[in-house]
Amino acid sequence: MPPDSSRLDLLQGTLDLLILRALRSGAMHGWAVSERIQQISQDVLQVNQGSLYPALHRLEHRGWIKAEWGISELGRRARFYSLTASGRKELEIEAVNWSKLSDAIARVLRMA
Amino acid sequence: MWWKNYSLRLRALLFRRRMDEELQEELQFHLEMQARKNQRYESDTAEAERQARLQFGSVVRATEQCREQRGVSSIEVLAKDLRYAFRMLRKSPGFTAVAVLTLALGIGANTAIFSVINSVLLSNLPVKDPQQLVFLTNPDEQGLEIGFGDGDRDFLTYPEFRELERNKQVFSGVLAASNFTSSIPVELQAADSAANGAPARVSLVSGSYFSVLGVTPILGRAFGTEVDKLRDANPIAVISYAFWQGRFGGADNVIGRRIRILTTPYAVVGVAPPQFHGETVGANPDIWVPLTMQSEIFPGRDFLSLETKPFRKTEWLQAIGRLQPGATLVQAKTSIEVEFHQMMDSQTGGMSAGEKRQFLNQHLAVVPGSRGASRLRADFGKPLQILMAVVGLILVIACANVANILLARSAARQKEISVRVALGAGALRLFRQVLTESVLLAAFGGAVGLLLAHWADTALLRMVSSSSDQIRLDLHPDARVLAFTLGVSLLTGILFGLAPAFRATRVDLNSVLKGTSRRVAGGAVHSGRVPSGKILVIAQVALSLLLLVVAGLFVRSFRNLCATQLGYDRDHLLEFWVNPLAYGYQSAAILALDENILQNIAAIPGVRGATLADNGLLSDTDSNSPVTIEGQKPLSGDEAHARWDMVGPNFFSTTGIPILAGREITEQDSGNGQRVGVINETMARKFFSNSNPIGQRAFVHTTAGQAPFVVVGVAQDSKRHSAREKALPRFYIPYFNPITDDWTAGAAILIRTAGEPSSFSSAIRNVVKQAAANLAPVTMETMDQRFADSLVTDRMIAELCGAFGVLAVLLVCIGLYGIMAYATSGRTNEIGIRITLGAQRSGILWLILRESLLLVLIGAAIGVPLVCAAGKWISSLLFGLQPADALTLASAIALMFVVGVFASYIPARRAMRVDPMVALRYE
Repeated sequence: MPPDSSRLDLLQGTLDLLILRALRSGAMHGWAVSERIQQISQDVLQVNQGSLYPALHRLEHRGWIKAEWGISELGRRARFYSLTASGRKELEIEAVNWSKLSDAIARVLRMA
Repeated sequence: MWWKNYSLRLRALLFRRRMDEELQEELQFHLEMQARKNQRYESDTAEAERQARLQFGSVVRATEQCREQRGVSSIEVLAKDLRYAFRMLRKSPGFTAVAVLTLALGIGANTAIFSVINSVLLSNLPVKDPQQLVFLTNPDEQGLEIGFGDGDRDFLTYPEFRELERNKQVFSGVLAASNFTSSIPVELQAADSAANGAPARVSLVSGSYFSVLGVTPILGRAFGTEVDKLRDANPIAVISYAFWQGRFGGADNVIGRRIRILTTPYAVVGVAPPQFHGETVGANPDIWVPLTMQSEIFPGRDFLSLETKPFRKTEWLQAIGRLQPGATLVQAKTSIEVEFHQMMDSQTGGMSAGEKRQFLNQHLAVVPGSRGASRLRADFGKPLQILMAVVGLILVIACANVANILLARSAARQKEISVRVALGAGALRLFRQVLTESVLLAAFGGAVGLLLAHWADTALLRMVSSSSDQIRLDLHPDARVLAFTLGVSLLTGILFGLAPAFRATRVDLNSVLKGTSRRVAGGAVHSGRVPSGKILVIAQVALSLLLLVVAGLFVRSFRNLCATQLGYDRDHLLEFWVNPLAYGYQSAAILALDENILQNIAAIPGVRGATLADNGLLSDTDSNSPVTIEGQKPLSGDEAHARWDMVGPNFFSTTGIPILAGREITEQDSGNGQRVGVINETMARKFFSNSNPIGQRAFVHTTAGQAPFVVVGVAQDSKRHSAREKALPRFYIPYFNPITDDWTAGAAILIRTAGEPSSFSSAIRNVVKQAAANLAPVTMETMDQRFADSLVTDRMIAELCGAFGVLAVLLVCIGLYGIMAYATSGRTNEIGIRITLGAQRSGILWLILRESLLLVLIGAAIGVPLVCAAGKWISSLLFGLQPADALTLASAIALMFVVGVFASYIPARRAMRVDPMVALRYE
């Protein structure tokens, strides 16, 4: 899919943070995660749907989220992801790091 | 947390298919959801779905990326390494076969010995909760004892058992079993096979036996305590699984069938489970009958009634208690000690102060009983440990050889490894890969070894079983044996794989790929350090020297045992036992029958002489009593004791024990006249130091009182029961003028034949049959055979150690040859230069030999202290030589040097004949 100029591409690693943040409010399946990220960012952040799933699986393998099969709101079988304890910790660390980084970049941009 | 990750990876590996399907389902779900959303703006369903796919992008790529996320797990690496290793091994079948076979021999030998150790020394009895069992008696002893000694008791008498059985404070039950399983001819009723009447092993057990052990018959029922109530009233039997299969052919209708033991028929009530072999490991009774049937199994004797005379008490029962839940061994000890002491105290009436002191100084050593009883532990414990160490050494030597081949191979594989390094393989990755290959090799070796072990165990049992005493052990590999084999295989794989694995990580990439790498003697790429191949050979030499010396010591010790002068001529001497008492004969009739048999045997053409002895030759029975000499001060304590036997006329001339003074016992000494006796040299020295013993009167003090005899002769010392026996004071009195009527085990008839002893067996059987038709067919043995049987353990150790010694030499030879051949071929260039510069051919030969001999020298120097340490450990099993036997050590070292010369001779000759022109163009 060609990048849409009005929407921002995600930096490497940022997607992980967004997924973790999206899952903080509870277990949800992959599609819901992508919808939620879009919704919270008021459609500014467009999740590349194709790269969402590798990210989910990567996080699962790192033990930050866990997956279980459940029944979706429409009665279909779906894979639900939720945060693990270590995922919660990771989210806190990464969120702090992110705000430090974005503050720093913002400062640099203002000064330059 | 790591385990969770691990389980996820394991799942990824094992359920790859299923995970792929789940992934497909997950992505499909996403597409459907997206299509649904799109339908809000797009009424055409097909178009909405197409849009959804467009928004998603490549499903295939997403799938692939998701799969990648599962990661290259360590398990997957292992699986890859294994596949690769398997391919590498298949590529060189010759190497693989040699390595696997070498390892299989090593691991197989270890598994075989360990199986026996497991069965004899480690395994619990196959009964319910064996750890709750405790012995009130000595589990390491088997037999029967009459009289008593002070200290820890070996066995219990029947009344003692009945008393202790009532202890419900610490025990939920106590059982007793006769500790000597006698082989008694057993006939099946209405059976007509040739095996009918063949001896079977009968064990007498208490009614509580099966319930306390928690053993339930697989067929029929076990008998319970109801059989303890009345004597001779319960002719019933539980038979072993093997007996059921062997003698009844596993027939279903066996329950209720009758078997005749001696004169009494017994009804079979149950068949024991196949894994149950009784409380004594290695005894394996065929038939269990109630203790109350004692007088039917051992006629003429009463082991059941309370014997008031302490010197006549028959201790014959092994007793095992099952602890109450919550009761401890210490509590059991205290409780039993108190009870036993009270019991002893109540029996001291009429004893002298000395007797009483001795009598009350008896104890029961209450010990854990989960492993059951066994004399094998005492007999074979040490030999088994030595053999285990020996096969362990063999395995290490074999490992060194395989490591050496692997090292040589890894030198040849340097190019392949370099390419892998160049392509980015990490050192750890290579290390793992090479190690995986060796472990896989060892695993194959272990699998083949397990098969070999089973076969070796059968052979081993045959080796240690004497012709008369079959040792039966359950040697099916259990979890412990399998774990042992697995552990040993893994350890072996790591052991011999380490050196090649380290080597793989040290490849000099540049020189190898450029093809300028030069092979240095010993195969190391880096010069300046001692090559690992040489270290391995030195270790091999040291360990082989140790093995050779140990083997040499055992072989020489066995030779000494075989060459022992017993003091009589065991050639052409036959022995068989008759026990008329067991068939209802009483004292006078027994003597008459014995005399009849002797006379008729003596009349057989070709029989040079026939006599008999109460205790036999090379048997387990002996008599030991205090002796006093008329007119002399009695010796004190044990010093006053002498061994003795009652022998028939012409015992000395028939057996060939020389008479040094006076005369031997003859027919004229039979009857109730004045009893004569012959004493041996040691007794003459000890009891008659200053005087001529002939004509003096001595008194034997036995349970029956004191009996006099007049010394008429002095015989040379002889070893009555074993080659290791030390000379003890001993005397002989006439069998036909006995001092007791306490006939217990019958008598041994001894026959000297002119021709081949076995050719007389049918004539002798006929004589016995004519004299007493109801006696069971007698089993004849030559003294040569009995002597060989008595040395069965020594022979096993000598033969096995000898064989392993030869194997070790062979392995060292191969190892040394490999290293020398390899090193020499690497020096072709150098040798060519030396020859060009005028070196003598003999000098070149010496150049190579010197290197080999240096390795042997260093190995031997390391080996000698090992030998000294091991010598102390094995000294108790040696006979007629010291562990620090200079001759053995010197021969072993000499042999190692011969091996050193031999192994390097071919490479050295090749080096000697190097054509300098060819050599210089070599690289």
